[in-house]
Amino acid sequence: MNTSTAASAPSSTHGLAGRYLTFSLGRDSYGVPVLNVREIIRLCPITPVPRMPAYVKGVINLRGTVIAVLDLRAKFEMPTVATGDRNCIIVVQIQGVGGGKTLMGAIVDAVEEVVNLAAGDIEPTPDFGGSPDVQYMLGVATIRGGVKTLLNIEKIFQEDGSLVLTPVSKPASSIEA
Amino acid sequence: MSSSLGESWTTENIDSAVALISQMAEELAFVVPDRDSGLLAINALTMDLEQLAELDGPTGFVAGVKVLRVWIDAILDGPVSFSADMIEKLGNWHGWMSSLLVALDQDVATPPLPADWSALLGGAPQAQATASQGSPSASAVVAPVAQPEEARPAASFVLDINADQELLREFFSESVELLQDIEQGVLVLEEKPGDKNTINSIFRAFHTFKGGAGFLHLAALGELAHELETLLDAVRKGELSINREIIDSILAGGDALKLFTREIGDQLDGVNPGAPISVPTQHILKRVRAALRGEAPAPASSAAVAVAKAAEPVPPAVVAKVPAAAPATVPPAVPACAPVVPVAAPVSVVAAPQPVAALVQVPVAKPAAAAESASAAEPTAKAPREGGSSTGGFVKLDTEKLDSLVNLVGELVIAQSMVVQNPDVQSINSLQLLRCLRQLSRVTTELQRNAMSLRMVPIRNLFQKMGRLVRDLGVSQNKQVHLVLEGEDTELDRNIVEKMGDPLIHMIRNSVDHGLEGPDERVANGKPAMGTVRLSASHQRGGIVIRIQDDGRGLNTDRILAKAIERGLVRPNAGLSESEIHSLIFLPGFSTAEAVTDLSGRGVGMDVVLGNIESLRGKVEIESVFGKGTTFTILLPLTLAIIDGLLVAVGEDRYIIPTLSVRESFRLRPGMVSTVHERGEMVTVRGKQTPLLRLGRFLGSTSKTTQAEDGIIVVVESGDTARGLLVDELIGKQEVVIKSLGPAFERQNLAAGGAVLGDGWVALILDVDTLVKLPIENRASVIHSQTGTHS
Repeated sequence: MNTSTAASAPSSTHGLAGRYLTFSLGRDSYGVPVLNVREIIRLCPITPVPRMPAYVKGVINLRGTVIAVLDLRAKFEMPTVATGDRNCIIVVQIQGVGGGKTLMGAIVDAVEEVVNLAAGDIEPTPDFGGSPDVQYMLGVATIRGGVKTLLNIEKIFQEDGSLVLTPVSKPASSIEA
Repeated sequence: MSSSLGESWTTENIDSAVALISQMAEELAFVVPDRDSGLLAINALTMDLEQLAELDGPTGFVAGVKVLRVWIDAILDGPVSFSADMIEKLGNWHGWMSSLLVALDQDVATPPLPADWSALLGGAPQAQATASQGSPSASAVVAPVAQPEEARPAASFVLDINADQELLREFFSESVELLQDIEQGVLVLEEKPGDKNTINSIFRAFHTFKGGAGFLHLAALGELAHELETLLDAVRKGELSINREIIDSILAGGDALKLFTREIGDQLDGVNPGAPISVPTQHILKRVRAALRGEAPAPASSAAVAVAKAAEPVPPAVVAKVPAAAPATVPPAVPACAPVVPVAAPVSVVAAPQPVAALVQVPVAKPAAAAESASAAEPTAKAPREGGSSTGGFVKLDTEKLDSLVNLVGELVIAQSMVVQNPDVQSINSLQLLRCLRQLSRVTTELQRNAMSLRMVPIRNLFQKMGRLVRDLGVSQNKQVHLVLEGEDTELDRNIVEKMGDPLIHMIRNSVDHGLEGPDERVANGKPAMGTVRLSASHQRGGIVIRIQDDGRGLNTDRILAKAIERGLVRPNAGLSESEIHSLIFLPGFSTAEAVTDLSGRGVGMDVVLGNIESLRGKVEIESVFGKGTTFTILLPLTLAIIDGLLVAVGEDRYIIPTLSVRESFRLRPGMVSTVHERGEMVTVRGKQTPLLRLGRFLGSTSKTTQAEDGIIVVVESGDTARGLLVDELIGKQEVVIKSLGPAFERQNLAAGGAVLGDGWVALILDVDTLVKLPIENRASVIHSQTGTHS
C-alpha cells in the first residue's frame, strides 16, 4: 500500500497536461484523465461481492459485460452518504498487469465537467504528512480558483500494481447485520 | 429419431428417462399452489418423456407418461396454475415413476399403474403412431463453386501469397490434417504392419497431398509425396513388406512435408511473405527410393502405376466440377473419356520428376482444381447417386464465426428469459401468448444446445499427437513404451481441447521421462520391459475425465517431501498425508532443473500445468503407488461458456450454485440440525452428518433465515466432501452464460464468475469447491487463497 510514492509523484508535471473529467466527492473536486474514461452511467443496482474490502461495491452488468465497481468515497475513507440522483458510475478503462485492458467502474457523487489543463495549471502533489492517499495522486490543479486533485486512476484500481483485490477475513459476527 | 428400437429399451434409454425424472423432481420442488411457476419446464419435460416413450417404451412407462400428459393438458387448458391437489398428484406420480424406472433398470416386475390413473387413459394404453418427424426432403444440391483459375505457368519455391492466398490457405489446412493422418497411420502400422486400411489411408493421404502440391506448382513437394505414395503403393500391393526402414522413411518424408507446410502457414500469416522456401528433400528422396528398390519394381514403372492410380479417384470429382461450367445436373454416367484425359495429364505432370513448367498446359487450372479438392468434393459427387440424401457433408468454418455465434446464442437465451420473466408479460393472461412463449423457450433451448454442440470436437486429434510424442520420446531415451489410447471419441469444447494440448504434452512427457524406468530396471523389478502409458478420456459426472496412467516407478513421497522441505515449501513437521505430499509437485518453485534430473518425480513445470487446467475450471488428482505407477486424473467441464445453475436467494442477494455440484436440496425439518462442540453445526442427510454452512451469515448478507428450520438446505459436494448450505429460498434452475468477473477478482475464490439474470442483474456463481473446503470449526473466518489440489 505505501510503497513507491515517488513513482506516482513525478517531479515535473509536464506529462500531465491534457483533458480531465472532473467530479465531486463531498466538497472536494477531483479529476481523472479523459483518456481513461470510457463512459458515464447512472447509478444502477450493484451485485455485492461478499467478503471484499468495503470500497469494493460489487459488480454490475454493463451491456452484457460484468465489471467491478468501486466506491471512491469508501476508498478515500470519507463518510458514507445516501445516494441521490446525481450519483454516477464513471467507467474507466485501465491497463491490466498482464497487458490486457479492463473496464472498471467508480462511484462518484456527481460528475462536473471536462477541463483542459496546461502543464502550468498543475502542481506536484503536496506532502500531506505521509497520508497513504498521496500515492493515488498525480498532482493538484488550480482552475478558476478551485483546486482539483488529479487522480491516478490506474493506480487506484491496480492497488500497488497487482490489480487483485484479496478477500478480507472478518469473523462472521462482525459482518452479520 | 427412429421410432423403433426393437423389443426393449436400452440402458441408455433408461438412463435418459432417469435423468428427465430427476429434472422433473427439481422442477416439482419449485411448484407453488395457485402459481404457474415451473409449469412450462414441466411441460417441456413431459414432452421429452413423450418422445422417449415413443421409442418403444415399456408399457408402464408409456401409460405413466400419458397420465402425466392428461394432467398437464388439463392444467394448461384450464387454470394455468397448479392446485395443491395436483401438486400432490404430481409428487405421487414422481414417486411411482421413479420406482418404475428402478424396476426397469433391475429387470424386475414394475409397479402397476394406480387404478384412478388408468381410468384417465380410457382406452387401450398402447402407443399411438409417432408420425412426428418429417423426414428432411433433402434435395440433391450440387453446388458447384469452381471458379475458373488462371493458369500460371511458373514453377518456383517462391509462393505468390497474394495471388494464391485462398488456395494456399486451403492447401495448408488440408495438408496439416493429411500429415496428421499420415503420422497416426504410421504409428498404427508399427503395431499392425499388415493393416490394409491403414496402408490405404496413408497412401491416399500422400496422394491427396501430391494433388494439392501439384496444383500449386510445388514441384519438389509433389515429387516427395509422389515417391512416398509409390512406396506405399508397393506395400499395398504386397510387393514390399513394412519394415523399420520404410516406416522411418515415411516419417522422415512426412516431417519434411510438415516443415514445408508450416513454412507456408507462416508466410500466410505474414512472416516473410514471398521469401524462397527450401526444404531439403533430396536425401529423403534417396532414402525413399532406396527403400523402394529392395524387391520393388523400378521407380519408373511404379510411377506409371501411380499415375494410373492417381487418375482413379479423380473422375467423381470431375462429375461434381465439370457441371460447374455446364448446366447444374449432369448424370454421373457422363464423364466418359473427355474429362478424364485432361485430368490425368496434370497429375502426371506432378508425377513425372521433371521441371513442371514445360508441361503445364492450358487445361491445368480447372481440372487440377478438381483434383485438389477431390477429397472434399467426393461426398458431394456421390450425393446424386444416392438419390439425394445430404448426409455426411462437412463444412470448414472459421472458429471466430463459430464463437461469435455461440456468444450470440448465449445473449439470445438471456434476452428470451428477460421477455418470459418480464412482469408485464407475465401479467398478460393469454393462453396464446403462453403457447408462443413456450415455443420460443423450446426453440431457444434447442438452438443453444445445437450451437454448443458445434463447439464440441472429439479429443481424438489431441490424443493422436501424443502417439507421436511417446514414440519419439521412447526412441530418444531407449525406453520401450506402449501408448494405449481410450475414448478418443469423447467430445468436448474445442477451446478446452486447444488449451489442453500443452498440459497434456507436459504430463505425457513427464510420464515417459520420469515415470517409466528403462527396460533393464523394469525387468529387474519384475515388470515387463515394455512400459505402458494409458491415456483415456470419458464422460463422468457431467464433465470430462482425462486420465494419464503409467506403470512406472511411481512418486517417491520421501524424496518429494525432502525436496519440499529443503526448498522451504513445507515445514519439516507438517505431518502431511500421502496425497498432500503428492500434490506438492504442483507448487510453484518445486520445479527446478535439479528436481528434474535428481528427483524421480515430475517437477517439470507442474505448477504451470495445474494453472492451465484450473484456468479451464478443471482439477487434477494424483494417485501413485511407489514402484507401481502413477495416475493423473484431470477433471474438466464439458464447456466453458455455460453452466446449469441453481438460483438461490440469500437475504436480498441471489447466487448461483452450479447444478453439477448439487447433490440434493430439501427443506429443513426440526431436529435435523445438531451442534458439535458448540461451534460447528451439522445436518443429518440420509443418516450422515454433514457440516452445515449458513450462507447468509458467511456471505454477510442480511439473511431472513435466522432459524435454520426456516431455510432450505442445498447439499453440495466437491470431490469426496459434502456440505449443506443453508439458503433462504430456491428461486429456480437455469442455464447461465458464465461471465468473468475480470482481473479485479482474480484471486478471490468465493465466486467462480458472474451471470446476467433475466432481469439484467448480475448473480455471482459460487465456487463450491471453496465452500466445501472451508474448515468446519472456523469456517466463517478463513478463506484459503488457493483452490484445487493445493494443500
